[in-house]
Amino acid sequence: MPGAPTPGFCAFLDGTQESELLGWRGGAPIVLGHVGAVIRLRADRRLVTWRRPRIERAIYAPWSYTPKAPWRERLPEMSLVDTSFDDDGAPVVRHPAAFLERASAAVQAARERAELALAREWCTAESRPLLVDGSISMEAVAHSTVAVGLIKSHRTLYVNADAVPVVFALRAGERTSVIRITPRARPSVLSWYLRMREPAGGDPLWGLVRVEVSDEGRDPGPRADTVSRWVLAEARPLSLPDPRWDTLVYPVRSCEELLRGLRSHATH
Amino acid sequence: MTAGASSGSAPTAAPLGRVVATERHPNTPHEFRFWTALESPVGIGTIVRVDGTHPVGGQIPRVYGVVVEGFSYTDLESALHDVMGHDGEPGAPALAPTERTEVRLYSAAVLRQLPEEPLQPVPMGAVYLADDHDVAAALRMDGYVGVESGAAIPVGLYTAGGMEAPIYLDADFLLGPEAAHLNIAGVSGLATKTSAVEWLLASLFAHLPESKGSVAAVCFNVKGPDLCYLDQPGELDDGDRHLYDRLGVPPAPFAGARFFAPLKPDGVSLNTIRSHESLLHNVRPLTWGLREVLQFAEVLLNRDDVDAKADALIDFIKERVIDRDFTDAVLSAPHRVRSFADLEAWFRDLLTGLENGRGGSGSEQWRTHHIATIRKVRNRLSNISTRCAGLVTDDGTPSDLPWGSFEDRAVYVVDVALLEEDAQDLIFARIVSKLREHLERRDLGVKHVVVFVDELNKYAPGDGPDTYVRKMLLDIAERGRYLGLVLFSAQQFRSQVHRRVVGNAGTALFGRMDADELATPGYAALTPATRIKLQTLSKGQLMVRHPHFTQPVFVRFPRPAVMRGRDGAERFPQAADVTVEEAVLRSLRVMEPSLTLAWVQDLVALYGEERVLAARNACLRERPADVRAFVERQFRRVVPSRPASAPAVTPLRVLPDDDPYGI
Repeated sequence: MPGAPTPGFCAFLDGTQESELLGWRGGAPIVLGHVGAVIRLRADRRLVTWRRPRIERAIYAPWSYTPKAPWRERLPEMSLVDTSFDDDGAPVVRHPAAFLERASAAVQAARERAELALAREWCTAESRPLLVDGSISMEAVAHSTVAVGLIKSHRTLYVNADAVPVVFALRAGERTSVIRITPRARPSVLSWYLRMREPAGGDPLWGLVRVEVSDEGRDPGPRADTVSRWVLAEARPLSLPDPRWDTLVYPVRSCEELLRGLRSHATH
Repeated sequence: MTAGASSGSAPTAAPLGRVVATERHPNTPHEFRFWTALESPVGIGTIVRVDGTHPVGGQIPRVYGVVVEGFSYTDLESALHDVMGHDGEPGAPALAPTERTEVRLYSAAVLRQLPEEPLQPVPMGAVYLADDHDVAAALRMDGYVGVESGAAIPVGLYTAGGMEAPIYLDADFLLGPEAAHLNIAGVSGLATKTSAVEWLLASLFAHLPESKGSVAAVCFNVKGPDLCYLDQPGELDDGDRHLYDRLGVPPAPFAGARFFAPLKPDGVSLNTIRSHESLLHNVRPLTWGLREVLQFAEVLLNRDDVDAKADALIDFIKERVIDRDFTDAVLSAPHRVRSFADLEAWFRDLLTGLENGRGGSGSEQWRTHHIATIRKVRNRLSNISTRCAGLVTDDGTPSDLPWGSFEDRAVYVVDVALLEEDAQDLIFARIVSKLREHLERRDLGVKHVVVFVDELNKYAPGDGPDTYVRKMLLDIAERGRYLGLVLFSAQQFRSQVHRRVVGNAGTALFGRMDADELATPGYAALTPATRIKLQTLSKGQLMVRHPHFTQPVFVRFPRPAVMRGRDGAERFPQAADVTVEEAVLRSLRVMEPSLTLAWVQDLVALYGEERVLAARNACLRERPADVRAFVERQFRRVVPSRPASAPAVTPLRVLPDDDPYGI
């Protein structure tokens, strides 16, 4: 990939979620969910918070099977989210594990909503590049030319079997060609794999990230080069001691640290 | 709900930090931590205010603190991670697009809590930079600043983050009676110690209210020309003038300064660096007669050498011989001893008489005093006149400080810099004793006297022999405040000064300090950061300890408005040794410019050097309106010699040729 790493991102978005099992009522799990999302703006090499972080706390429980009243009384400031039904409105099997799984999915959805809301806010108000931790294949954001998604985990490889060795063989600073990912229910995005650090010990996923940009323009190659250079520039400083430091860029870690601080403050 | 402070502190625009406490580092009633933005103007010594959030007894707690330690760290767990992150290239950090998150954490010592009871740990809250009112409250200056019965003496300006606040000392704790004395420590060569004392005297003179009584200062100039030009204006820059203006002290030299110095051993010229003709108008000789010196003979005599028998003889001489007509069968003639020369003649006559058995005396004993004791005392006392030549006058008339007529706000500088150590000790001991005597009798002329002594390491060392001077300094330090006798002392190494001298100093100032000195136990109470700051203080900066301040405070003070010793020595070079006639003319012409060298030469030719010098000394003491007449009155009328006329020669009668009898 031609050119040296060059800082290009002005802001970084990330969200966090935490679930805490408060107890059981009639076999139903009562889960406290805490989600947050924040954009950290980089100015003069320092990170500051852009607007207000989004923080939400809610109690997740199958309220069809357990009364809300005591919780409303004890925690009046919290919203109560029903986990009796799935996203399609079908009832969840009355099984503690199923309720727990549903609560977890609901908390994750809440986090994604918080991130999406903040990303939308940025894309509406700003024209400067925003790095989003995770996929941008969300409506509105996926069409924005300012948002760039950075995916660190690779449970799914978006290449065919023949190309897998090519991805694994990437050296530091190398990228794959651009591919179009077209999810069924979401807008399509352009994506490519990029190796941020030399693979250590032969781990094929070490330092490997997938980059997503909006599916705009006819010749994505130069844009992929530019964005890749931006991503590579974020390889410093290291995000140690975070164990994901090979792919976690420092400003995203800063988002997580800030949200952790706010979570701790809220708990107290 | 009222804020804890009773002062009229205006709400500060924005907090500069927040109090933070963890289980590992909890707040206490005397210490707390807070973090700030990276650009915060907080530093070691900054005074801050914490406003609590929850009322205690209906009052929002307010805490004042002074920053004593600072910490900075990032989110790194190990330095190795940073090295790895930059591939071992120190220059690489500049390439990183993001700076690591950095924490600025400060530890502050509590100066004051409001309300003062119940005394609780410092609460969480916003931290503000202290303003004027906050500083006054924090240092408990509100008890004496702006209070009718109080007397606040500005010691310097506290500055932090663009804010300035005058720091005041309480006169009752500087001059007594509550506490007293001031000690200043600092390395040599920065002129901080002397400058600070000169500045503080100016401030004291400007701000001590009349209701607190009059004050004068006696400064011993023990080295170089440091204090020799206190009446001459010095160079000030705009920064100094601003400080003078802000602290309300006129930037002027000490108009009422008077200078005293002994004569050189020749008894002709003043033994001081301030001997330039144009400065002699307020320099007076410091000369003492035999009586004055003998009163303090023990300062100069080796106690191991002079035993009780010798003491008894010295007492006898003081009581029965000096300034009296003394007759004894052993003596060849009556003696009136007024000078060391007279005393030597008396001894010589006495010993000769004893050796010759004059008056029927035994040769070994005279009035219970053994001849060996007499010889020993003679030897020791003769040594004094040699060691203190120039200080001891042979005409028996002392020229001394104006005992009984000290003036308010006047500085009396005694220059002993060029003297031998023994003479310095003698001068110091006698002047301090006289000050004490007069203050006890309340007839000195002023209510308070500040005695400034530099080089306390030499005069009051923590170890070494128990000298007369050290005893006197201890006496001032421990009992002086009841009399109004206040010691301002200075030295390089505070740790090496007698503990009771520095321990009794209510106020302590510290200039730049030596690292070795700061490593001594006396500074253990200071944090490492405060010690580092003390090591790097620049000229014009001091750390101040005062009884009202629970923690030391850093201040700036202006250059004294007097000429620096080095500048003075260059501008007014020391006069070269001159003839007796020239020396007499130079010192008298200050009072009467019309005098001529020829007039003095005539006097010397007529009456001799010794008598002319005595007349000159008397004139300097009395300062008469008509100098010429006064000097001439000092001499007995002497009929001028005239060449004898040739006696009339009676011609021999010529014998008549015819006179056979020759008639």
